[in-house]
Amino acid sequence: MSMLELSHVKKSFKENPVIRDISISVEQGDVVAVLGPSGSGKTTLLRCAGYLSQADGGTVTLDGETFDLHRISKRDVVRYRRKIGFVFQSFNLFGNKTALQNVTAGLTIARKMDKKEAERIGLEALEKVGLLDRKDYYPSKLSGGQQQRVAIARAIAPNPRVIFFDEPTSALDPELTEEVLNVMKKLAEDGITMIVVTHEIEFARRVANRVILVEDGVIVEENDADTFFIHPRQKRTIDFLRRTKWKPEGELLSDEGVI
Amino acid sequence: MTERIFHELVDAFPKLLLPAIKVTIPLTLLSFSIGLLIALTTALVQVAKIPVLRKAARFYVWIIRCTPMIVQLFVVYFGLPSIGIRLASFPAAVLVFSISVGAYCSETIRAAIESVSSGQMDAAYCSGFTFSQAMFHIIIPQACSTAFPPLSNSLIGLVKDTSLAYSVALVEILASAQRIAARTYDYFWLYLEAAVVYLIICSFLTVLQRRGEKALEARR
Ligand SMILES: Nc1ncnc2c1ncn2[C@@H]1O[C@H](COP(=O)(O)OP(=O)(O)O)[C@@H](O)[C@H]1O
Ligand SMILES: [Mg+2]
Repeated sequence: MSMLELSHVKKSFKENPVIRDISISVEQGDVVAVLGPSGSGKTTLLRCAGYLSQADGGTVTLDGETFDLHRISKRDVVRYRRKIGFVFQSFNLFGNKTALQNVTAGLTIARKMDKKEAERIGLEALEKVGLLDRKDYYPSKLSGGQQQRVAIARAIAPNPRVIFFDEPTSALDPELTEEVLNVMKKLAEDGITMIVVTHEIEFARRVANRVILVEDGVIVEENDADTFFIHPRQKRTIDFLRRTKWKPEGELLSDEGVI
Repeated sequence: MTERIFHELVDAFPKLLLPAIKVTIPLTLLSFSIGLLIALTTALVQVAKIPVLRKAARFYVWIIRCTPMIVQLFVVYFGLPSIGIRLASFPAAVLVFSISVGAYCSETIRAAIESVSSGQMDAAYCSGFTFSQAMFHIIIPQACSTAFPPLSNSLIGLVKDTSLAYSVALVEILASAQRIAARTYDYFWLYLEAAVVYLIICSFLTVLQRRGEKALEARR
């Protein structure tokens, strides 16, 4: 049984169908990269999965417990959210809290954890992202890359079952992108389950074990990373990879051979 | 200004300061505190989109903002006794001013809350917060720095508006000046002196506002 399963997620804005019917299942320890042109519905999909946007239909199953993505009780939504983590494109660090407080708030305020214990976990998380020396800084005093690393520390601190990343490096300059990707690579090595929407093809190639291509609100191709990048099944995948600046190791092969 | 008037004004000053300390300032502080509680509740009911209460909040703000405060004072002080509710001047004034502050400041607070980026709420939810935990720990503290200057404005406005309570027989600064002037006929000078007392109180509040803004600035 998979650890996380999204099934038949559907979402329209007014008359505009953004997610037509998407199902994804994720095993423990998976790093799933979600690729796709902008406007294809990736953010919407993650927001629905985090109950930040109300889906029109679909379910999410986490650790064998299924929740309706369209309707959920207040109690269940809080219970569910306490088992996931979310990293946003625009960081969204709490502006009124220091780096350390950002990381511990979910523990002390939401989960009523003992302050000392929360601080120990918080410092450990900040150390993991290499920002122990910035623990007392307010977000406005941190660079974008540092803010995103604090946001990652905040997401991992409660030890969630899965972390959703929505283009975590898209708002960053290239030199800051690297530091964030390195932290994420470390998380992947630690076996943290992650679903990562990204435009960093190289990251998807090196770190993800599974890759999904989304276009126009449907999954075009879903494969293990090697197959996806070396023997993509779909012509649209090949077209997509060609359009990116990513350089494959060899030729892109379809089932029929070199194309 | 003659020497006689000068001495008269010096004599009168403590007689204006006393009602300021005993009436105007307590009336202002009490009404503003109660008003802020009403304002916060009224704003939260709307932000949380609680079905019936939200409509009731809109209705309350509409009625209070669209009727003159002096009319409200008259209704409460001179009108209510006819249906058997008799309030003394001070409680009547507290009631009217609190309700007025509640209505105006609820709009300030609501706008300040709505000005906090929606990403803050998203992040709070994904950190496992409930709606009220997110509101009280993340959103409202950040809304405070936005709301602080307009709320200070309302407080300073209220200090001056308390002079309206003169009309419901409350002996505050203006009424005291009027009483003294009635004996000497120096209305011009005594009313000016009353204005100076308001000026002093409000200048003090202005300085406090600056300090408050600096303190809020340091916390982010
Ligand atoms: N709140 C919204 N209201 C209306 N349309 C929206 C909203 N959010 C997203 N959309 C539309 O949904 C589509 C998919 O958006 P999004 O999920 O952000 O795509 P992606 O993250 O893949 O770039 C876009 O066409 C966008 O305009
Ligand atoms: Mg997006």
